[in-house]
Amino acid sequence: MPEQTATRVLTCIQCGKCTGGCPESGKTPFNVRMLMRKTQFKSDIEESLPWYCTSCGACTIRCPRDVKPSEVVIELRAKLVEDGDIPLALQKALENTFVQKNPWGRSRNKRADWLEKLDFEVPHVSGTESKRLLFVCCIQAYDPRCMVIPVNVARLLKAGGMEFGVLGEEEACCGNEIRRIGESGLFEELQEENLGSFTEYGVQEIIALSPHCMNALKKEYGDTGIKVVHYTEVLAKMIAEGSLSFPGSFEKKVIYHDPCFLGKQNGIFDEPRAILKAVPGLELLEFSRSRETSLCCEGGGGRMFFEVESVYQRNAEVRVIDAGKRGAEIIAAACPFCVMTLEDPATEKGLVVKELSEILMEVL
Amino acid sequence: MKIGVFICHCGHNIKHTVDVETLAEYFRKYPHVAVSDDYPFLCSEPGQNMITDSIEQHGLDRVIVASCAPSLHGELFKDLLRKKGVNPFLLRRVSIREHCSWVGDDVEENTEKAKRLILSGLYGSAHYVPLEEKQVEVNKSALILGGGVSGLSAALFLSNMGMQVYLVEQAAELGGRVRELKSVWPSRKAGADIIAGMENELRGRDNAAVFTSSKLSNFEGFFGNYQATVATPDGEERFAVGGVVVAIGFEPFDPQIKPELFYGRDPRIVTTLDLERSGDGLKLPDNPRVAVLHCVGSRDEQIGRPYCSRICCINALRAAEAVKERFDGSYVESFYMDMRAHPRGGEEFFEDTQEKGVLFTRGNIAEIVPEPQGIVVRGEDTLFGEVFEREFDLVVLSIGMSAPATGKEVANLLKISLDKDNFFLEAHIKLRPFDTAVKGIFIAGSCSGPKDVEESINHGRASALKLYGFLNLGYAFVDPFISVVDPKRCSGCRVCEQACVARAIKFDEEKHIAHVEEAACMGCGLCNATCPSSAISLRGYVDTVIADEISGLLEAM
Repeated sequence: MPEQTATRVLTCIQCGKCTGGCPESGKTPFNVRMLMRKTQFKSDIEESLPWYCTSCGACTIRCPRDVKPSEVVIELRAKLVEDGDIPLALQKALENTFVQKNPWGRSRNKRADWLEKLDFEVPHVSGTESKRLLFVCCIQAYDPRCMVIPVNVARLLKAGGMEFGVLGEEEACCGNEIRRIGESGLFEELQEENLGSFTEYGVQEIIALSPHCMNALKKEYGDTGIKVVHYTEVLAKMIAEGSLSFPGSFEKKVIYHDPCFLGKQNGIFDEPRAILKAVPGLELLEFSRSRETSLCCEGGGGRMFFEVESVYQRNAEVRVIDAGKRGAEIIAAACPFCVMTLEDPATEKGLVVKELSEILMEVL
Repeated sequence: MKIGVFICHCGHNIKHTVDVETLAEYFRKYPHVAVSDDYPFLCSEPGQNMITDSIEQHGLDRVIVASCAPSLHGELFKDLLRKKGVNPFLLRRVSIREHCSWVGDDVEENTEKAKRLILSGLYGSAHYVPLEEKQVEVNKSALILGGGVSGLSAALFLSNMGMQVYLVEQAAELGGRVRELKSVWPSRKAGADIIAGMENELRGRDNAAVFTSSKLSNFEGFFGNYQATVATPDGEERFAVGGVVVAIGFEPFDPQIKPELFYGRDPRIVTTLDLERSGDGLKLPDNPRVAVLHCVGSRDEQIGRPYCSRICCINALRAAEAVKERFDGSYVESFYMDMRAHPRGGEEFFEDTQEKGVLFTRGNIAEIVPEPQGIVVRGEDTLFGEVFEREFDLVVLSIGMSAPATGKEVANLLKISLDKDNFFLEAHIKLRPFDTAVKGIFIAGSCSGPKDVEESINHGRASALKLYGFLNLGYAFVDPFISVVDPKRCSGCRVCEQACVARAIKFDEEKHIAHVEEAACMGCGLCNATCPSSAISLRGYVDTVIADEISGLLEAM
């Protein structure tokens, strides 16, 4: 464990703020405060425990002693990764990322396939004047459910008159989840590869489609000098400036779910709401746990790639029930992981989950 | 020249890592060193006698005391020289404790370092000349900034002692935050009554001028002769004061900085101060469920308030007790990280509150989610190790103290410092807790860090007493370390004028050279260091002293 992390753990006052706000504590055996205490005393930690963490970051944002519990969990995982004591599915995800630069192990050659769905050409970023890159994200480049998101956003950006390019097959996984699984070595490799491309093509600005990619590119790639934004920030600005508007009407009750990596970790709360409010006919509802207290969907921190024991009620289900109680017809999210986790229980309960861009495409 | 070198053991503090005997022996061989000795405690009476006896016996005209840092026992050793008719500025203190023995454990290395430090002092002292301390008249009057309990206490004390006081309060009324308190623990008196008593007493005095809705707008001068300008609703007032007591209080923490607490977005979530102000008007059910949260805005690195505010545990207990007393069937649960009921009687108060049925849960609340039927409070009971979600009708946030909003402005006007948390910084946390680094300017009450009412009153009185001690004689001695301009070397470039923070350097238009107003000079040496022609020197710290001290440090290398 890095010395600074270890020193901060020693300052933990065991106040329980981390555990009280943790989306996993209470219903699972995971207790962050207890893990900090055990780390202080170098006690043994049962090896299934660190994997419950979803990296939502609530503990780290609120810890009064700035212990950064979620970072300590990453260190605990790193030790398990080093010893090879990790769930098989995660091991597979790491291997896939090492070979194909995406956790699902899909062929790297197919990373740009989503572009075929567009009726216009998107240039390689090197061929753009602005050197503005649309960073797609692995799940949205490959997953059939999520592939529509980059397609939509590309159309929206074009409608707003914004020039952008892509890296195509050269884009590698951002590594946000990989670092959180505890494989910092692989994260650094991915970072090096992506940074190499950014430098080679003189990238000036990155529009990230996934909040997870945005987080890594913005906060964990070091001082790159490249401006990194989430696509909702760009669209909200276009709408405010009048370069993007929606002629159609969307007469639905929509509840917005704040993704952890967009909201509590990066403070982007207002832009997605501003976008939804700009949709004619749309009625925007709010969860009681919204913005800074938004309940994590449990898709982050590597949890997308493996299943923990399913005897516990999923937060996504809690979220869907809550949305139903509030009279929502549609749950909107601005993160592919949230879309994926919310969709199953939503379908079960007759609700629809839409990524923001999907709603916008209906009214564009 | 006859130099005496005295090396202190400071018990084991110096001796355990510095070979003091070798040092004493070593300096005996130096020319002009008439005596070189070591002693267990030079500050003790026999230690002092050893120095005075040596001065007499050898006719010393330079005394080197190698011991603790010069800030400690400064006047004590100077007085020894004065007693024997030697100018006190011929004393050289060398710190071989803070700068040497406490730093490392290696006896050989430490002894070598101490040797160099003393040698440096020895060389420097060769250039010393007797200096005269200047006597200046001082105004027996004081400016008190802030009319809360602390400022009022200071003003009352000074006015009682017959000194003219000018009390400046930015609010329309005196009393600060205490005025808002319904019942001040432990006396249970109303804050407004406490203030009224103090205010009536002060208003009746003919040596106290009170300015409300006013603020300090300009401040210049030097110890004993400050000029304060105050902006009042009736225009500007200027007066001469000998010193200042700064008692501008604190700012209550605004919980909106912590979004997870939902404060300001639901009327059922209030602060302890809100409860004081409008507790009776709250619409609560007959048997209300009330949560009290400790440490809101205290002990929190995330919001730059790592300190304990010291008052909020008692305030939380007061809030819990108040609810329990008003609603017999209420359910009151207090959530704490650590219970710090530190004032006298505080622990007993805690016990009483427990007896009255208030439950205490050790856990820092993580989230507050208002629902129509109640406010859901989520946290971990760290003693059970269980996460809970409980519903309440009212949540009371026991807020801490933040630094005063006008702290920076006042600090800039008075040229005093703030600490890392933006409270005013004292000159020494233990030895000079009321002083600032500027002579004659004192701090009192919660503007120098969280304090309760009792502490604030005492702090105000103590600062007033210290100021009184400085001004009472009507005159004061000031250090002779002031800058002197060599008219032959000065080219009139005026760089020093800009460098001077005390605004003591004026340009002599006639002679075209810089001129130092001696009374205003603080002796900081900035002009000295800035002058490109070496035309300004600081008496007592002339360039030759510094150059030779450096060569003393380097010589042994």
